[in-house]
Amino acid sequence: MNEKIAPHLEELTRALGDIEATGIRAEFEKLLAFRVPPDVAKQSLLRKFGGAQQSLKKELKVKDLAPNLKNFEINGRILELSEKALRPTEGTVEGRPSTLYTGVLADETGSVPFSSWQELPCQVGEVINVKNAHTRVWKNRVRLSIKERSLVSKVPEGAGTPASLPSLEELSKSPVKKLRDISSLDLSVSAAASVLQLSHRDVVVKGRQATVISGVLADETARLPFTSWAKLPGVDIGSIIRFDTAAVRMFRGVPSVEFLAGTRVSVIDGPEAGELAFSFESVKKDPVPLKMREVEARDGLFDVVTSGNVVSVRPGSGVISRCPECGRAVQKGSCRMHGKVEGVRDMRIKAVLDDGTGTVPVMFNRELSELIYGKTLEEAEALMYSDISKDAVFEDLRRILTGRVLSVRGNASRTEYGVSFVAESVRAPEDDLAVRAVELLHRLDSMEENRVRSRAVSPVAGEVDDA
Amino acid sequence: MLKREVAKRVFAKEFEAARNLEAPGRGVAPEPLPGGALRAEDRMGEKDSKTPNFLLSPLGLLINRVFVVGVLTEIDNVGEQNDMWKARVVDPTGAFTVYAGQFQPEASIFFSTVEVPAFVALSGKARVFEPEAGSVFVSVRAEEVNVVDEELRNRWVVDTAEQTVERLEAFSKALSSGFSGFELSEYLVKTGVPAELAEGISLALEQEGGRHHGEFLRQLGGALKEGLRALNLDSKDAEGAEADIKEFALELMREMGKGKGVDYGIFLKEAAFRGVPEETVEEAVRSLLAEGQCYEPRIGVIRPVS
Repeated sequence: MNEKIAPHLEELTRALGDIEATGIRAEFEKLLAFRVPPDVAKQSLLRKFGGAQQSLKKELKVKDLAPNLKNFEINGRILELSEKALRPTEGTVEGRPSTLYTGVLADETGSVPFSSWQELPCQVGEVINVKNAHTRVWKNRVRLSIKERSLVSKVPEGAGTPASLPSLEELSKSPVKKLRDISSLDLSVSAAASVLQLSHRDVVVKGRQATVISGVLADETARLPFTSWAKLPGVDIGSIIRFDTAAVRMFRGVPSVEFLAGTRVSVIDGPEAGELAFSFESVKKDPVPLKMREVEARDGLFDVVTSGNVVSVRPGSGVISRCPECGRAVQKGSCRMHGKVEGVRDMRIKAVLDDGTGTVPVMFNRELSELIYGKTLEEAEALMYSDISKDAVFEDLRRILTGRVLSVRGNASRTEYGVSFVAESVRAPEDDLAVRAVELLHRLDSMEENRVRSRAVSPVAGEVDDA
Repeated sequence: MLKREVAKRVFAKEFEAARNLEAPGRGVAPEPLPGGALRAEDRMGEKDSKTPNFLLSPLGLLINRVFVVGVLTEIDNVGEQNDMWKARVVDPTGAFTVYAGQFQPEASIFFSTVEVPAFVALSGKARVFEPEAGSVFVSVRAEEVNVVDEELRNRWVVDTAEQTVERLEAFSKALSSGFSGFELSEYLVKTGVPAELAEGISLALEQEGGRHHGEFLRQLGGALKEGLRALNLDSKDAEGAEADIKEFALELMREMGKGKGVDYGIFLKEAAFRGVPEETVEEAVRSLLAEGQCYEPRIGVIRPVS
């Protein structure tokens, strides 16, 4: 190699480690072959492989994993491992590996499914370290992806293993949890809960008729949807059940539990049910409203209530036209999947609600939009045609909604743009302002008393206070 | 895409005393994203111009955006080409100065058509202007403004009082704990104070060294109590007589003013002439002023809201 590129190679090695082994050097030369100037090529490789942020040691825990992360390091114990031969398909690049290794990796913060294009130097139960790992989304949940360029090494038990990493036995136990704590970090869970809703549905799976049971579970902390592929004898609305080793699935960003063949489900009654922190009567009540700070902090929430002021009505609210095929909003007469279509009229509102502790965009469907707007779709359309401004409905919506307090009930989910909320119902808050005001006056009085008392006890503190 | 900043609830008295946060972005990033180290700013290597500006209130509230509901009492056309609107929005503790210029077209259009006085709800960004040492102007650059009703204003006062009392309580806890800096914010988080407020309180104490806070706490507490009492939320049943007097005073104001202001002295005489003692009317007017049902466009002149 000539002298011009030697310094660049040196810098790459400094930033990224062994560039020969990881194939980064080959990639660098490929860019040069395309007549990319060496320093630009270096920059782009540094960006791609994360050299610019070497100063930040990016060792992540399972709970930190989000979609589409790049070039991080992770340690974990292998809980499951299997390999899958891939049939070579036409157009496959020569030399591409034909075996995919999949499994589950866990640390003390959770477990994550992974897939690897390289054979792993270890077996179930052993600890590995992966450098240059990536994530992607598969079946609505984050998946760890070990690529050809990732460096995988086995961490010997004892000296090399982080002390915090639990044993295989502990990690593969299906933890007993409260419903609120079930998240995408769990692959399987156990819990006790009351059945709030239940229905049977006949579906055809792989050409065979099957009955699936679906419904809603609740304990004192949260509600969660569930499905069961097995019959649940003796279980009905109002039953309290205990389930062991149920699978956790993600649907639209909200966790749900799935009872599979291996799940044990039993009905709890008599004195044992009396010992639980909840009963069917207590969980049947409307959920307690959450602050928006709490909604924002969670990845996905099922059937919760929160309220706030409308601080902004977002563009795209009002009368829209939807693709008859897929329901996407039609823009300029075309659907981005189905081209030119005859759109179907619909109304929706996207509003940002804010309670001073957090801020959450909330979607309202046609029915709820008509309710809070006070105009039907037809009335809105009439307004749209009577006014030369194409934003007449949007402006009208802003005038009616901006500032108002809305209490919404529905599901929250985390997308790549943060948490968003889909309303199932909406109402004006019903709390009594006079009661709240009196309570605040009491709190202010008792704070004053404390201040006076502390000054009496400690004159020094008083002086500082008054200075 | 950047996370939208929360619109904080804060009374004018606390807002006016806020100052620019010395080290912008220091520890004020909202909750770390899952996968913490990979936020946008970090990818850039350093904070870019999109990092939001924050003000820090004496009670440790970090403010970027605010949401205010109050009485719009004045609008002026200012700026070199008269292309800037300046407005005052009054709450029970004081007034917010609000600006809207060519880059806030929605708010500017609103101010160009609204009639004062009116109850308004507004969201906007907090700004500090310091033309010379010692003179500081804290204002709101309006984003969205709308006319609302008195019920919503009352709700805002109670909501804001609730969040202010939470801050006052956390702040008192901080003062009596004896901790400072990082230790203090750790202690506060452990006792249930939200992380952002805990950080803000320890920053506020660092900047001020704990002086003046006793006096400010007392004043704000007093203003809050007055504001909450003035809402007269249960006036319908318990304090019917007082409500009647206020209704009478408002009616008289409207009748005498015919859409304009009334000289306060003449107003009192007229009330006395109709058989209501001066002190009773004065008290009713004070409480009407605090409630935002009437205001003083000039000293010695009162005018009902709408």
